[in-house]
Amino acid sequence: MWQYIAKRILHLIPLLFGVSLLTYMLMWMTPGSFYDNLKQNPQISPEKIKELEAKRHINEPFYVAYSYWLLNAVKGDLGYSLAYKMDASKLISTRLLNTFLLSFFATVLAWAIAIPMGIVAAVHKDSIADRALSSVAFMGLSIPEVLLALLALMLAASTGWFPVGGSQSPMYDLMEPGEKFWNRVHHLILPTLVLAASSLAGIMRYMRSNLLDTLRAEFVTTARAKGMAEGWVIYKHALRNAINPLLTIFGYSLAGLLSGAFIVENVMAWPGLGRLTIEAITSKDYELVVATVVMATALLVIGNFIADLLLAWSDPRIRLK
Amino acid sequence: MAETITNVTAGTDEDIVNLSPWQIMWRRLRQRKLAMAGAVVLLVLYFVAALAGFFAPYGYERQDRDRFFHPPTKIRFDGLRPVMARYHLTEPGSFKYEPVADDRKPISLFVQGEKYKLLGLIPSTTHLFGTGDEAYPIYLLGTDQYGRDIFSRMLYGSQISLSIGLIGIILSYSIGVFVGAASGYYGGKVDTLIMRLCELIMSIPGLYLILALRATFPSNLTSVQMYLLIVVILSFVGWASTARVIRGMALSLRERQYVLAARALGQSNLQIIIKHIIPGTFSYLIVGATLSIPYYILGEVVLSYLTVGIQEPEASWGNMLNAAQNTEYLRNYPWLLAPGAAIFITVLAFNFLGDGLRDAVDTKSA
Amino acid sequence: MPLLEIKNLKLDFKQGDKMLRAVDGVSFSMEAGETVCLVGESGCGKSVTALSIARLVPTPPAIYPEGEILLNGSDVLKMGKKELRSIRGGIVSYIFQDPSASLNPVFRVGNQIKESLKLHRPQAATDDEVIRLLKLVGIPAPESRIRDYPHQMSGGMQQRVMIAMALASEPKLLVADEPTTALDVTIQAQIMELLLDLKKRLGMSILLITHNLGIVGDIADRLAVMYAGQIVEMAPANQMLKRPLHPYTRSLMGSVPKLGHELERLNAIPGNVPSIGFMPTGCRFHPRCPMAKSDCSQKVPELVQVEPGHWVRCPYWSES
Repeated sequence: MWQYIAKRILHLIPLLFGVSLLTYMLMWMTPGSFYDNLKQNPQISPEKIKELEAKRHINEPFYVAYSYWLLNAVKGDLGYSLAYKMDASKLISTRLLNTFLLSFFATVLAWAIAIPMGIVAAVHKDSIADRALSSVAFMGLSIPEVLLALLALMLAASTGWFPVGGSQSPMYDLMEPGEKFWNRVHHLILPTLVLAASSLAGIMRYMRSNLLDTLRAEFVTTARAKGMAEGWVIYKHALRNAINPLLTIFGYSLAGLLSGAFIVENVMAWPGLGRLTIEAITSKDYELVVATVVMATALLVIGNFIADLLLAWSDPRIRLK
Repeated sequence: MAETITNVTAGTDEDIVNLSPWQIMWRRLRQRKLAMAGAVVLLVLYFVAALAGFFAPYGYERQDRDRFFHPPTKIRFDGLRPVMARYHLTEPGSFKYEPVADDRKPISLFVQGEKYKLLGLIPSTTHLFGTGDEAYPIYLLGTDQYGRDIFSRMLYGSQISLSIGLIGIILSYSIGVFVGAASGYYGGKVDTLIMRLCELIMSIPGLYLILALRATFPSNLTSVQMYLLIVVILSFVGWASTARVIRGMALSLRERQYVLAARALGQSNLQIIIKHIIPGTFSYLIVGATLSIPYYILGEVVLSYLTVGIQEPEASWGNMLNAAQNTEYLRNYPWLLAPGAAIFITVLAFNFLGDGLRDAVDTKSA
Repeated sequence: MPLLEIKNLKLDFKQGDKMLRAVDGVSFSMEAGETVCLVGESGCGKSVTALSIARLVPTPPAIYPEGEILLNGSDVLKMGKKELRSIRGGIVSYIFQDPSASLNPVFRVGNQIKESLKLHRPQAATDDEVIRLLKLVGIPAPESRIRDYPHQMSGGMQQRVMIAMALASEPKLLVADEPTTALDVTIQAQIMELLLDLKKRLGMSILLITHNLGIVGDIADRLAVMYAGQIVEMAPANQMLKRPLHPYTRSLMGSVPKLGHELERLNAIPGNVPSIGFMPTGCRFHPRCPMAKSDCSQKVPELVQVEPGHWVRCPYWSES
């Protein structure tokens, strides 16, 4: 088991290296230099720009600049955001936390609802409940996140039940600690619902088809032949097996989840990594773009890593290989 | 027990033993009503998109400066004849409209209007429907913040949004299939290198990579350049997953007897890949492509929505939705979301068709 | 009273709006301690017949339009859920064709056996009893094996675990549905030997389902041959093996390779078992029958007793 974990971690390092190299290269290829935008800003002195360029080795060949970037990144320095006038690392850490919170709660919510839905649909296959759930899931699968997020905004704007976008109220800094917490939660609810709803359908459909497959498996007949009650057959023998492929799906679904979060963040003004990426691109803050993409990838590969561990923990066939 | 039950289903298939795989697939697909409904909806959508100029009453750039945020025109029936009324502002300065009482203007078919080019070639002025009177504009889905007809813009937008899906999938699947088949067939170092590259691409969350790629190119592009750029970017991100699946298939296909036989007969590697490996993956490709087209459509929507895709005044479903981002607009003029509904219907139709195709191809499913 | 008595069992599968008959009027009985082999090609209905004894065929899609399955005198087809649970394992236990698929991959084998014990002999649900059972089925070093997962065992060992699990509840009838088909030839012999040994030691009844007439000789007291959902011949084992009367049984025997007869041609039976829903008229075997007469396609043959205990469904059984 430990060997397995160590192997997986070793696998992550070249991957993150490759992603940073690719993104850095893309940003290097953007028209103009990193600091062209800045040069047109009269408030920033040419000396400051020179200093920045020298510090980031911008005028040297690509591989030199990248090597310095990598060296700094390993030390935790992801560069300097020109638009925000602060360290990219600092800026990203709060955004990363926001994206993480949004994705985490959306995942928990989506799975908590989708799994029972899938079980009901599979156990009562072809019943009215199954048909209803399956068609709702099909609809859900086809609703674009952009539309869902816009509809949620419309709801918020016309009912006033939820704040219209953002992660905190303008008066946030003046609030009591308890009030602050609730204010955060209140802002988090709607984006979480939208993101959860958009991934719910897929998980439910997977759960349903997995469980249907397992219910047809021979070990289920064996369990029935022992004289086990149908409820136990389903919840102990079938479900325990249907969860394993689902954990694999969990790993895959994270990429979609982060893309979904990207959309939700941008439509609903949730200050996460995705929104920061767009802001960085429109303000030509290229170092920040590299940093956000690498961080988003890190989030994804770590999520995948956790999914693999869960799978290994759940499935003895992988654990004991 | 399993064998008995498969036999039950195999019984009805006995009469289709003599058909080609494609005929069998078509037969099975035809039995699936939802899949056929999806196919019909898609045919209609693509047909209308191709002839957008004819079906749209107005051009996509036409602005009605007297009627910003005009609500969808209500159509009543005078006997069998559809009629409409003009709308007037209830109070100046606001955008609240009401139909003029007792006002009626018949709507007719094949009216003369703005010039357009049918299929981009044949100049014409005939539109499917309209009033033929500038004083009686017909806005089936209302107008936007510049007084442009949303219905017409949606039809023109569908030309971009729908075709990007098709072209994107063709491009990315061509790359994915060829690279994947070659990778699986040759194996060795080439294979390892290609698969590492695929892994790299797939490990970056899709939209982040798309946006980073987009940032690499200048923002002021002509609409044709922008269109091609979007297709290229989406395909660059999309080919990797196809390549991986095809590689897996190629790995098993290259051990098949007929491939070994072809090699023994001295066919070149390229010939074998094209004649024997790739055809073996067709049924997967058909299903996979149908179910993936929505991702390309949505990719364009997101890019344009974020204003780094198709630019105004050109219409696409994505940049039309951008107007709806303003919550003030959203609350008062919900018809701005109409392109969202169009996206939904299109994606739903592709999913229905793809699901049906998968069942039709998959001989295991009963 | 026989241990098991199946009377005129019929079973349909509902497909769309058609009803497809998989079992058509099967009747036979088994005494306590007796071993009966149900023989036939794949898809002839022998597996569903066997599964029906504990009502293990899912309904729907299956429907039982007629018939009775009397197990210890009470009709399984009329039982409620609770009664069914008590006979499953309690009176009749099963082992299946593919042990690697029949054991749950995510639970330890010891636990799976213990589950059986908990359901039917809760006071005996101990590690010691599990070890005793594993020993009984010939698993070496059972103490270290009970914490294994199924995938850590060979196919033969897995099948032994299945047998131990079936025996754990001390059933009166063991139904073995093609227990050796998925195993290597050498392992097949070992498992058959184990079943024979257990039969002698525990004195329970065994209903062995197989398509391989070659393995039934040593173990079976009686044979029943099924074709297309019906029993076509039934007789004491030695009697039938010596002198098969139904042309189908004869063809089946002709298709079994025998040691020392290498030079003889193997007689494969031409054609396939008819699919359910596409049954030939008259005698169901006539399209493949080497000695079919002109009226075989019209007259539906009955199962008749031609000698004491020997039943045949062919009016021309006495010919050739």
